[in-house]
Amino acid sequence: MRLAEVERGDSLRNRALIRVISLALGARLPDAARVAFYHKAFVGTALGAWTQEAMRGPSEWTVPERELMAAMVARWNTCPFCVGAHRSIAVLGMDQAVTDACLADHRTAPISEPLRATLSVLETMTLRPDELTADIQRATAAGVTRQQLTDAAAVASVFNIITRYANALDFAIPTDAEFGKAATMMLKRGYA
Amino acid sequence: MGHQDLADALRAAVAADTGVTDASLRTAIAAGSPVAEPYDTLARQIRDASHRVTDAEVAAVRDAAGSDRAAFEIVMSACVGAGLQRWDAFREATDAAG
Repeated sequence: MRLAEVERGDSLRNRALIRVISLALGARLPDAARVAFYHKAFVGTALGAWTQEAMRGPSEWTVPERELMAAMVARWNTCPFCVGAHRSIAVLGMDQAVTDACLADHRTAPISEPLRATLSVLETMTLRPDELTADIQRATAAGVTRQQLTDAAAVASVFNIITRYANALDFAIPTDAEFGKAATMMLKRGYA
Repeated sequence: MGHQDLADALRAAVAADTGVTDASLRTAIAAGSPVAEPYDTLARQIRDASHRVTDAEVAAVRDAAGSDRAAFEIVMSACVGAGLQRWDAFREATDAAG
Protein backbone atom coordinates (compact mmCIF):
# COMPACT_ATOMS: atom_id res chain seq x y z
CA MET A 1 0.00 0.00 0.00
CA ARG A 2 1.55 3.27 -1.14
CA LEU A 3 -0.23 5.53 1.40
CA ALA A 4 0.62 4.50 4.96
CA GLU A 5 -2.36 6.20 6.60
CA VAL A 6 -4.77 4.28 4.37
CA GLU A 7 -3.13 1.02 5.40
CA ARG A 8 -3.23 1.66 9.16
CA GLY A 9 -6.57 3.51 9.34
CA ASP A 10 -7.35 7.20 9.92
CA SER A 11 -9.03 6.99 13.32
CA LEU A 12 -8.78 4.97 16.51
CA ARG A 13 -12.10 3.35 15.64
CA ASN A 14 -10.95 2.28 12.18
CA ARG A 15 -7.60 1.01 13.45
CA ALA A 16 -9.45 -1.10 16.02
CA LEU A 17 -11.87 -2.30 13.33
CA ILE A 18 -8.99 -3.37 11.07
CA ARG A 19 -7.46 -5.36 13.95
CA VAL A 20 -10.75 -7.01 14.96
CA ILE A 21 -11.73 -8.02 11.42
CA SER A 22 -8.21 -9.33 10.70
CA LEU A 23 -8.45 -11.50 13.82
CA ALA A 24 -11.92 -12.77 12.86
CA LEU A 25 -10.74 -13.45 9.32
CA GLY A 26 -7.56 -15.16 10.50
CA ALA A 27 -5.66 -13.13 7.91
CA ARG A 28 -4.49 -9.58 7.18
CA LEU A 29 -7.51 -7.47 6.25
CA PRO A 30 -7.25 -6.96 2.45
CA ASP A 31 -6.34 -3.45 1.30
CA ALA A 32 -9.69 -3.09 -0.50
CA ALA A 33 -11.44 -3.04 2.90
CA ARG A 34 -8.90 -0.57 4.30
CA VAL A 35 -9.69 1.84 1.43
CA ALA A 36 -13.42 1.38 2.08
CA PHE A 37 -12.90 2.48 5.72
CA TYR A 38 -10.64 5.45 4.90
CA HIS A 39 -11.90 9.05 4.54
CA LYS A 40 -15.37 7.67 3.96
CA ALA A 41 -16.96 11.13 3.86
CA PHE A 42 -15.26 11.76 0.52
CA VAL A 43 -16.34 9.31 -2.26
CA GLY A 44 -16.44 6.14 -0.16
CA THR A 45 -20.13 6.16 0.72
CA ALA A 46 -21.29 6.92 -2.83
CA LEU A 47 -18.94 4.36 -4.38
CA GLY A 48 -19.96 1.72 -1.83
CA ALA A 49 -23.65 2.31 -2.56
CA TRP A 50 -23.19 1.94 -6.33
CA THR A 51 -20.95 -1.11 -5.94
CA GLN A 52 -23.47 -2.79 -3.65
CA GLU A 53 -26.32 -2.12 -6.09
CA ALA A 54 -24.29 -3.35 -9.08
CA MET A 55 -22.99 -6.49 -7.35
CA ARG A 56 -25.79 -7.50 -4.99
CA GLY A 57 -28.86 -5.50 -6.10
CA PRO A 58 -31.71 -6.86 -8.26
CA SER A 59 -30.41 -8.12 -11.62
CA GLU A 60 -30.98 -10.92 -14.09
CA TRP A 61 -27.26 -11.64 -13.78
CA THR A 62 -26.43 -13.97 -10.90
CA VAL A 63 -23.99 -12.88 -8.18
CA PRO A 64 -21.28 -15.28 -9.51
CA GLU A 65 -21.77 -13.91 -13.05
CA ARG A 66 -21.34 -10.36 -11.75
CA GLU A 67 -18.24 -11.39 -9.79
CA LEU A 68 -16.89 -12.97 -13.00
CA MET A 69 -17.54 -9.68 -14.84
CA ALA A 70 -15.58 -7.86 -12.10
CA ALA A 71 -12.69 -10.31 -12.44
CA MET A 72 -12.73 -9.89 -16.23
CA VAL A 73 -12.54 -6.08 -15.97
CA ALA A 74 -9.63 -6.60 -13.57
CA ARG A 75 -7.89 -8.82 -16.13
CA TRP A 76 -8.34 -6.23 -18.89
CA ASN A 77 -6.95 -3.56 -16.53
CA THR A 78 -4.06 -5.78 -15.38
CA CYS A 79 -5.12 -5.72 -11.73
CA PRO A 80 -3.92 -8.93 -10.04
CA PHE A 81 -5.55 -8.06 -6.69
CA CYS A 82 -9.04 -7.75 -8.20
CA VAL A 83 -8.61 -10.78 -10.48
CA GLY A 84 -7.76 -12.87 -7.42
CA ALA A 85 -10.41 -11.39 -5.16
CA HIS A 86 -13.35 -11.61 -7.58
CA ARG A 87 -12.36 -14.93 -9.14
CA SER A 88 -12.41 -16.30 -5.59
CA ILE A 89 -15.96 -15.06 -5.03
CA ALA A 90 -17.16 -16.21 -8.48
CA VAL A 91 -16.01 -19.80 -7.94
CA LEU A 92 -18.13 -20.04 -4.80
CA GLY A 93 -21.13 -20.23 -7.14
CA MET A 94 -19.70 -21.08 -10.55
CA ASP A 95 -17.66 -23.98 -11.89
CA GLN A 96 -13.97 -23.21 -11.35
CA ALA A 97 -12.91 -24.60 -14.75
CA VAL A 98 -15.50 -22.43 -16.53
CA THR A 99 -14.42 -19.37 -14.54
CA ASP A 100 -10.76 -19.93 -15.42
CA ALA A 101 -11.56 -20.66 -19.08
CA CYS A 102 -13.44 -17.37 -19.20
CA LEU A 103 -10.57 -15.49 -17.60
CA ALA A 104 -8.24 -17.04 -20.20
CA ASP A 105 -10.51 -16.10 -23.14
CA HIS A 106 -14.23 -15.47 -22.87
CA ARG A 107 -14.60 -15.92 -26.65
CA THR A 108 -13.86 -19.65 -26.40
CA ALA A 109 -15.08 -20.40 -22.85
CA PRO A 110 -18.08 -22.74 -22.35
CA ILE A 111 -20.55 -20.01 -21.35
CA SER A 112 -23.91 -18.86 -22.72
CA GLU A 113 -23.94 -16.69 -25.83
CA PRO A 114 -25.65 -13.77 -24.04
CA LEU A 115 -22.94 -13.79 -21.33
CA ARG A 116 -20.19 -14.05 -23.97
CA ALA A 117 -21.63 -11.12 -25.96
CA THR A 118 -22.03 -9.08 -22.78
CA LEU A 119 -18.42 -9.71 -21.78
CA SER A 120 -17.35 -8.44 -25.20
CA VAL A 121 -19.29 -5.22 -24.52
CA LEU A 122 -17.52 -4.89 -21.15
CA GLU A 123 -14.12 -5.54 -22.75
CA THR A 124 -14.67 -2.75 -25.27
CA MET A 125 -16.10 -0.49 -22.58
CA THR A 126 -12.93 -1.02 -20.53
CA LEU A 127 -10.34 -0.76 -23.30
CA ARG A 128 -11.97 1.37 -26.04
CA PRO A 129 -15.04 3.05 -24.49
CA ASP A 130 -15.71 5.20 -27.56
CA GLU A 131 -16.19 2.15 -29.82
CA LEU A 132 -19.15 0.46 -28.13
CA THR A 133 -21.86 0.62 -30.77
CA ALA A 134 -21.08 -2.58 -32.72
CA ASP A 135 -20.65 -4.71 -29.57
CA ILE A 136 -23.94 -3.46 -28.16
CA GLN A 137 -25.67 -4.36 -31.43
CA ARG A 138 -24.12 -7.87 -31.36
CA ALA A 139 -25.19 -8.37 -27.74
CA THR A 140 -28.73 -7.28 -28.52
CA ALA A 141 -28.80 -9.73 -31.45
CA ALA A 142 -27.64 -12.46 -29.05
CA GLY A 143 -30.72 -11.82 -26.91
CA VAL A 144 -29.25 -9.57 -24.21
CA THR A 145 -31.85 -7.07 -22.98
CA ARG A 146 -31.23 -3.36 -22.42
CA GLN A 147 -31.62 -3.90 -18.68
CA GLN A 148 -29.09 -6.75 -18.63
CA LEU A 149 -26.61 -4.60 -20.55
CA THR A 150 -27.16 -1.67 -18.19
CA ASP A 151 -26.65 -3.85 -15.11
CA ALA A 152 -23.45 -5.31 -16.59
CA ALA A 153 -22.22 -1.84 -17.57
CA ALA A 154 -22.68 -0.72 -13.96
CA VAL A 155 -20.44 -3.59 -12.81
CA ALA A 156 -17.82 -2.61 -15.40
CA SER A 157 -18.00 1.06 -14.41
CA VAL A 158 -17.41 0.49 -10.70
CA PHE A 159 -14.61 -1.98 -11.42
CA ASN A 160 -12.96 0.45 -13.80
CA ILE A 161 -12.70 2.58 -10.65
CA ILE A 162 -11.73 -0.10 -8.13
CA THR A 163 -9.08 -1.79 -10.29
CA ARG A 164 -7.41 1.56 -10.87
CA TYR A 165 -7.01 2.41 -7.20
CA ALA A 166 -5.97 -1.14 -6.37
CA ASN A 167 -3.15 -0.72 -8.89
CA ALA A 168 -2.32 2.91 -8.11
CA LEU A 169 -2.11 2.26 -4.36
CA ASP A 170 -0.27 -1.04 -4.97
CA PHE A 171 -2.53 -3.34 -2.95
CA ALA A 172 -0.76 -6.26 -1.26
CA ILE A 173 -1.65 -9.55 -2.95
CA PRO A 174 -3.10 -12.10 -0.48
CA THR A 175 -2.34 -15.81 -0.72
CA ASP A 176 -4.92 -18.10 -2.36
CA ALA A 177 -6.06 -19.20 1.11
CA GLU A 178 -6.48 -15.58 2.22
CA PHE A 179 -8.41 -14.74 -0.96
CA GLY A 180 -10.67 -17.69 -0.17
CA LYS A 181 -11.38 -16.51 3.39
CA ALA A 182 -12.10 -12.96 2.22
CA ALA A 183 -14.35 -14.28 -0.59
CA THR A 184 -16.60 -16.09 1.86
CA MET A 185 -16.92 -12.88 3.89
CA MET A 186 -17.63 -10.75 0.79
CA LEU A 187 -20.27 -13.17 -0.46
CA LYS A 188 -22.03 -12.90 2.89
CA ARG A 189 -21.54 -9.19 3.65
CA GLY A 190 -21.48 -7.50 0.24
CA TYR A 191 -19.90 -4.12 -0.53
CA ALA A 192 -21.80 -1.37 1.31
CA MET B 1 -31.86 4.30 -6.50
CA GLY B 2 -31.03 3.31 -10.09
CA HIS B 3 -27.56 3.12 -11.61
CA GLN B 4 -27.75 6.58 -13.18
CA ASP B 5 -28.69 8.18 -9.85
CA LEU B 6 -25.87 6.31 -8.12
CA ALA B 7 -23.41 7.43 -10.82
CA ASP B 8 -24.61 11.03 -10.41
CA ALA B 9 -24.18 10.81 -6.62
CA LEU B 10 -20.60 9.58 -7.08
CA ARG B 11 -19.84 12.41 -9.52
CA ALA B 12 -21.23 14.89 -7.00
CA ALA B 13 -19.14 13.37 -4.19
CA VAL B 14 -15.90 14.09 -6.08
CA ALA B 15 -16.86 17.78 -6.26
CA ALA B 16 -18.32 18.06 -2.73
CA ASP B 17 -16.82 20.10 0.11
CA THR B 18 -15.88 16.97 2.08
CA GLY B 19 -12.37 16.94 0.62
CA VAL B 20 -9.20 18.62 1.86
CA THR B 21 -7.97 19.40 -1.66
CA ASP B 22 -9.37 22.07 -3.94
CA ALA B 23 -12.64 20.89 -5.50
CA SER B 24 -11.71 22.45 -8.85
CA LEU B 25 -8.55 20.30 -8.94
CA ARG B 26 -10.55 17.15 -8.17
CA THR B 27 -13.21 17.84 -10.78
CA ALA B 28 -10.59 18.67 -13.43
CA ILE B 29 -8.79 15.40 -12.72
CA ALA B 30 -12.04 13.44 -12.84
CA ALA B 31 -12.94 15.09 -16.15
CA GLY B 32 -9.57 14.14 -17.62
CA SER B 33 -8.56 17.78 -18.08
CA PRO B 34 -4.88 18.79 -17.85
CA VAL B 35 -3.79 19.88 -14.36
CA ALA B 36 -0.52 21.06 -12.80
CA GLU B 37 2.35 18.67 -12.14
CA PRO B 38 2.91 16.34 -10.40
CA TYR B 39 -0.85 15.70 -10.37
CA ASP B 40 -1.16 15.46 -14.14
CA THR B 41 1.38 12.67 -14.56
CA LEU B 42 -0.26 10.51 -11.89
CA ALA B 43 -3.80 11.21 -13.11
CA ARG B 44 -2.88 10.32 -16.71
CA GLN B 45 -1.14 7.14 -15.63
CA ILE B 46 -4.15 6.06 -13.55
CA ARG B 47 -6.48 6.80 -16.45
CA ASP B 48 -4.40 5.12 -19.17
CA ALA B 49 -2.42 2.32 -17.47
CA SER B 50 -2.92 2.18 -13.70
CA HIS B 51 -0.73 -0.92 -13.38
CA ARG B 52 2.24 1.22 -14.44
CA VAL B 53 1.84 3.76 -11.60
CA THR B 54 5.10 4.02 -9.66
CA ASP B 55 6.04 4.66 -6.03
CA ALA B 56 7.72 7.89 -7.17
CA GLU B 57 4.57 9.20 -8.90
CA VAL B 58 2.45 8.65 -5.80
CA ALA B 59 5.17 10.03 -3.50
CA ALA B 60 5.48 13.19 -5.63
CA VAL B 61 1.73 13.80 -5.34
CA ARG B 62 1.82 13.06 -1.61
CA ASP B 63 4.61 15.63 -1.13
CA ALA B 64 2.91 18.28 -3.27
CA ALA B 65 -0.55 17.76 -1.75
CA GLY B 66 0.81 17.71 1.81
CA SER B 67 -0.86 14.63 3.32
CA ASP B 68 -1.92 11.07 2.66
CA ARG B 69 -5.54 12.22 2.78
CA ALA B 70 -4.97 14.80 0.05
CA ALA B 71 -3.06 12.31 -2.13
CA PHE B 72 -5.88 9.79 -1.63
CA GLU B 73 -8.37 12.33 -2.96
CA ILE B 74 -6.24 12.91 -6.06
CA VAL B 75 -5.96 9.16 -6.71
CA MET B 76 -9.67 8.54 -6.16
CA SER B 77 -10.69 11.48 -8.36
CA ALA B 78 -8.71 10.06 -11.28
CA CYS B 79 -10.15 6.57 -10.73
CA VAL B 80 -13.75 7.76 -10.41
CA GLY B 81 -13.32 9.89 -13.52
CA ALA B 82 -12.19 6.87 -15.56
CA GLY B 83 -15.14 4.78 -14.36
CA LEU B 84 -17.71 7.51 -15.01
CA GLN B 85 -16.24 8.17 -18.45
CA ARG B 86 -17.06 4.55 -19.30
CA TRP B 87 -20.55 4.74 -17.82
CA ASP B 88 -21.26 7.91 -19.84
CA ALA B 89 -19.92 6.27 -23.02
CA PHE B 90 -22.17 3.27 -22.46
CA ARG B 91 -25.23 5.46 -21.90
CA GLU B 92 -24.45 7.50 -24.99
CA ALA B 93 -24.02 4.37 -27.13
CA THR B 94 -27.23 2.74 -25.91
CA ASP B 95 -29.21 5.98 -26.30
CA ALA B 96 -27.93 6.28 -29.87
CA ALA B 97 -28.96 2.66 -30.53
CA GLY B 98 -32.55 3.65 -29.66
